[in-house]
This record gives sequence, structure tokens and C-alpha cells, in this order.
Amino acid sequence: MRTSRLVEAPAKPSRPSREPSGRPRGRLGARARQQERVFWLSVTPWLLGFLGLTLYPLGYALWLSLTDSDGISPNTHFIGLDNYRELLSDPVTRDTLVRTGIFVAAVVPTGIIAGLALAVLINRPIRGRGVYRTLLYLPAVFPPVGAAMAFKMLFDRDTGAANGILGFFGGGPVTWLADPYARYVLLMLTLWGCGNAMIISLAGLQDMPKELLEAARIDGANSWQSFRRITLPLLSPVIFFQVITGVIGALQSIMPMLLAANPSPAAVTSVPQGNYLYMINVFAQYLANGRFGYASALLWVLFAVILVVTALIFKVSSGAVFYNFEPETKK
Amino acid sequence: MSRRRFLTTSTGIAAAATAGGLLSGCAGSVSSGGSGGKTTLTIMASGTELGTPAEIKAAEKALGMKLKMVKYDLTRLTAMLTSGNAPDLVRAEGSDAPYLASHSVAQDLDDRFAKSTVLKVGDLDPVNDIWRWDGKQQGSGPRYGMAKDWSQSYMLWYNTALFDKADEPYPSDTQPLTYDKLLDVGKRLTQSGKKSKVYGLGMAGNFETFMILTTEAGGQLFNEDYSAVDFTTSEARSALSWYLELAKSGAAPTIANPDPNGWDWPTFDAGRMAISTSGYWFGGMVVTDKKIAATARLAPAPQFGSKRISTGYTGTGLWMPKAGKNKDAAWEAMEYFLGGAPAKKRAESGAGLPALKSLRSLLPKSEGFQKQAYAVQEKELSYFEVLPFTPYVRKDAVDAVINQVMPAAIKGSVPVSKLADQLNEGINKQLANGKKLIK
Repeated sequence: MRTSRLVEAPAKPSRPSREPSGRPRGRLGARARQQERVFWLSVTPWLLGFLGLTLYPLGYALWLSLTDSDGISPNTHFIGLDNYRELLSDPVTRDTLVRTGIFVAAVVPTGIIAGLALAVLINRPIRGRGVYRTLLYLPAVFPPVGAAMAFKMLFDRDTGAANGILGFFGGGPVTWLADPYARYVLLMLTLWGCGNAMIISLAGLQDMPKELLEAARIDGANSWQSFRRITLPLLSPVIFFQVITGVIGALQSIMPMLLAANPSPAAVTSVPQGNYLYMINVFAQYLANGRFGYASALLWVLFAVILVVTALIFKVSSGAVFYNFEPETKK
Repeated sequence: MSRRRFLTTSTGIAAAATAGGLLSGCAGSVSSGGSGGKTTLTIMASGTELGTPAEIKAAEKALGMKLKMVKYDLTRLTAMLTSGNAPDLVRAEGSDAPYLASHSVAQDLDDRFAKSTVLKVGDLDPVNDIWRWDGKQQGSGPRYGMAKDWSQSYMLWYNTALFDKADEPYPSDTQPLTYDKLLDVGKRLTQSGKKSKVYGLGMAGNFETFMILTTEAGGQLFNEDYSAVDFTTSEARSALSWYLELAKSGAAPTIANPDPNGWDWPTFDAGRMAISTSGYWFGGMVVTDKKIAATARLAPAPQFGSKRISTGYTGTGLWMPKAGKNKDAAWEAMEYFLGGAPAKKRAESGAGLPALKSLRSLLPKSEGFQKQAYAVQEKELSYFEVLPFTPYVRKDAVDAVINQVMPAAIKGSVPVSKLADQLNEGINKQLANGKKLIK
């Protein structure tokens, strides 16, 4: 069922008359100039931030990626594309990329499904709904470092609650924070913050036209049919947003570092192999190996991977996302 | 607003912002030298290793300068060096001295040492040779820094209560245990309880460990110009085999089965580690807990082969960046922190051996364990030797390779010969990359 154009886009306002130079005239012109000033005042801080904190670092990292810089030595040489050639043949790059892909494939759908399920649950008219919402959202506002510390305590081999419960049932202690179990702890830690997905899905659910659900109910649709045929399609832009941001976030995840026994930058290489994701390798190359040029090349490759993956998701999902209005970009 | 107008104005703002950034960068580099006539020094150190905030205030008063203490962070150090705002003094482990010197980052301090009345060359403990680099080898040549304090890192602290419980005789105060005997003792002292574990031994399995064991066995890991390692020699393989046996026995925390505390002290303090391979400096923490102080004792570093070595690989201290802008003032501060009141206070605390021979008499001897530790330490000094490290990479880079390949070997899926090949391949690649930067 297509639900596009349920709400029509407003008609375009007529433009004020202009002088040949393109500048508006009279009182309308003064208002337009004031609006322009407000626009520039509003956009300038962002623009400066974008230039200083995004564009400049990007350019600097690109330059670094073409050198053999170690970050501190003045003896840096331009080496062209050598770093890119090396990383393409480096098994560590391949392994970490594959591991990160698996991590993304596990975390993003699970997080979105869990968030959606929680949103559906607390969208029901139950007593104490506000309390449940708050409780379920709390982990999402907890700082990741704090959450990682809590998980380290929960899964501590000697004093953690997880082994306490295992011991109660007669099980022996498990070293959760080392291979092969560390990856499961990492998954749990990442999903711990699914309250974000819940809130976004909940907002989507509450914005849903009730008359459509009501009509479906009158036509004899059961809850599952309504959810599948009406709720999910209407939520698809919200889910799409979560997929895009989730994939980008998971590709850049440095959570494993926070779970390490000694979470210092220099100790980044002690992260268990199961959790040795792409960004951990980037950190290791920068801080442990001192290969700033190579690490910058790795970052640029990740940037390209993110662009390609995002474009692919846009392409693949173009027929599966239903907007109840025409997106701005299609005007 | 038209797209063209937006782009034009944005470009104007960008240009202004870039120019502003450059100007502020220049301004920053000019003002870092002083504020209101008083010199401001930027010192990068870890925690309160150079003093508490009150002690830093006292240092400012004594030196007549403002001290801006910045927490040591490699990322920040890199950013400061790159942006032309180098700190005036930086902490580092002595094993990184060849790297800092050969990469033209650290200042040669020989002239300053020669003229100093505080840090006299004749008074420098041999450990300070770690900070020397002659262009080819660590241990001789100009000095590029100085140790703050140090320890012979492989000396053993042990808990007599856990030895008594296992009915195990204490190690000798003078004769080193062999590594094989240490392994046996460590295994016997290990208790794998259901709730928590008592480790028999704490020993890092890092490059330093294998370098010491290989050297004691009569071999060497590095080639002559430090541009490659060889773990396939019989001495190096026997060192790897020994460590793998320890790691597989579960008697010690390893990278594959880490101690949740991340390092030895909390575990040793809790009475859950019988022997910790930590040098004299551990005594500075032992004294803070009366319970462990009553049962802690120090023993000589164990011996792997025919050659007895007790090295102090770390020799953490201060170096002066070549790009620093206040070198005279930085030297004054270096003299103060490494030879003045703070150095005396550190020596009295027992949190490491002083880097000046004249301060050794200040080491604490009031507690029972301190008297015993002092006596053992005094006899151990004659076995000190600098084990030179490569100038091509920092220690973290070689340990990174070990961290990557060791877990599979500990879990039994990689034989020693293959482990040696993997270490050679990984570390030699790092060394080759690093060597390109010294041309």
C-alpha cells in the first residue's frame, strides 16, 4: 500500500518584486535584508565549525595519508599513494573491515528491532507509561564511558554479577572480557543504548494518523496485519533514518576500547581480537605504532566506505521507504 | 538568497576564519613564553608524579615562574609539536630515548649537564645512561633526558602470607630464583577458587620480558643496527616457550586472560597475587597499606640463563623538546624537579630509586619491609645493565605486535616456531617503516 502524498506540500509563496540587480525593493527589501542578516548570523557559527572542525581536518588527514608521518618527527616524506597500496594488501585491514561489517550487521538491525518493540510496548495505554519510558530511555542518556565501566564490573571475572549468577547455578567463572566472550559483552553494551531507537520510533508511532489504523480495524485487520501493512510502512522513513545513522555510528565504533582492561590509547592493541574493529586498528596505528600517515589513509578509506554504504542503502531502500509527503529533494 | 550569493559569502567567512586561525596561532606561540614578565613553562606529566597542586605552587615560588601542568597524552603531545606549541618538558620512558633523539625531537642536554651544579654528571646514577644515544646505540653518547626515579623492574615482591599458606619457602634475599623454579613456585601458589582467583605470579609478557630472557640465555633479539629482530634463535624461542608455559598454566594474568584490575598492585594489595614482578618502586604503595606491608618482601630478579641481569628498562623521566621556546627556564625546572626538593621527597617515599647517587641515602628504612627491601636492593644494583632498544619505533609499536599474535599462541593454536615467525614479520615491518623516517 503506497501512502505517499497523504499530505500535500504547501504551494510556493509568490516572490517579491525585484530590481534588475536582483535586490528586493522598499519595505519588502529591508525585511529581506534583515532576514538575510539573521540567516548569516545563524549559519556562521555552524559554517565556522564546519570549516575548522570538519573540512580542515579532512584536508589535513588527506595530506597526512600521502606521507610517512609519525606525528612528531620533522623527517616526514611525501610517499604518494603508498599507504593506500599497503592497506589494500594488509590482512589486518581486511580482517578488521570484515569484523566491523559483521558487527554492523548484528548491531544495527537488532538495535532498531529492539527499539521498535519497546516503542510499540510503551505506546500502549498502560498505567505508569511515563515511568517506563523514562526507565527505558535512561541507559541511552548514560555516558558510554560510564556504561562501559558498569559493564566491566558486571562482567568482571572475579567479582562480577554475571559470574555470581553462574556460580549460584553451579557454573564456573567465565572470563567475559577476553576472547571468545568479549564480542557478546560488546554487543550487549552497544544494545544497552537502544533507548535512542525507542524514542525515535515512539515519536514516529505517535505521529501516525489514527484514522488509518481505525479504518483497518473496521475492515477486519488484526493487530499484526495493521502493524505490518500500516504502521511499518508509515514508520519506514523513521526506520530508514535509524539505519543510516546506526550504520555510520557502528562503522566508527570505538566501544571495544572502553571495555579493555586498561583503556588507555597506548593499550589499544590489547583489545581482544573478537572486538578488534576497524577503528581500533586506526587508533593502534596512530597511537601505538606512530604511523600517522597510514592511519590517516585508513580513515580516508573508512570515509569512502561509509559514503558507498550510505549511497547503497539509499539506492536499495528507495522503493521501501514511504513518505507521507514529497521529500524536499524531489521538488 | 541565491546559491551563488551563499557560496560567495561563505568563502569570505572561510577566508577570514583561516586568516584568524593563523593569526591566533602566531599569537599563541608568542605569548606562550611569558605572561606579565613571568616565564610560563608548559610541563607534560602524568598525574601528580612531579608533585601535588600544592607542591607545584611551591615549585612556582621556588623557580619564580609559572608552571602550566598538562596531563601527558601522546595525542596532545603530537598536536602541540605539530602546531609549533611544543611543551617545555615532557615525561617519557627511557626506552623511547633513542626514538626521540634519532627523530630530532629531543634536545641534546650534554652542555647543560656539564655546567650544572645540581645535576652533576658524576652524581648521575648509571640508569641515566638509558637516556643517552650516540647515533647508533642507546647507553652512550649525548644525554637527551634524565630519569625521574627508577627500579630494576624484574625484582620480585612477594606476599609471605600466601607463601606460608602454601607451605612454600621464601625466595632468597641474595640468590636469584631461576625462571624455571619461579614458574614451579608460581604454579604451586596459584589458587583457582570458584569465586576469585589467587595468582601465583604477575609477569608482563611484553618485548622487555623476551629481551631480558633472551639476553640472559646468551642471545640477543636485535641485530647490530637495531633494524630487525630475530625470535627464531634458540635463546629467543626458549624465552617464548617459557612464557607460553607460564601463560597456559594460568598462574599469571596474560593478554588472553587478563587481570580485571589491569595491573598488579590492586591484586597484590588484595592478597590475590603471591609474587609480582615489579621493582623497588612498588614499596611506595606497599607502605600505604599496613596489612600488606606486614607480609610484603622484596627478592632479586630471577635469572634465565648463565648471565645475571637486573635491568631497569623504563627509567621514566623528563626530556626537553628541541622545539621548546624556553630552554633555559626548562632546564632550571628540570634541575629543580630531578635534583631539588621534589626529588628528595620522592626518594624518601620509596616510590622508586633516585636517579642521583647522592640521594640514595634518603631511601626509607623505618618499616620492617623497607629495611629488608633496601638491603636486597643495594645488593641488586651491581647487576644493572642497560639493554639497548631500537631508535626506529617506540616500545608501544613492538608490544602492539606481541599483543596481536600472543593470544592465539597462549590458547594453544600456534606453535612456538610459528609465533617466532609472526613476531619477526610484524615487528620487522614496523622497524622497516620506522627506519624510513631517519634519513
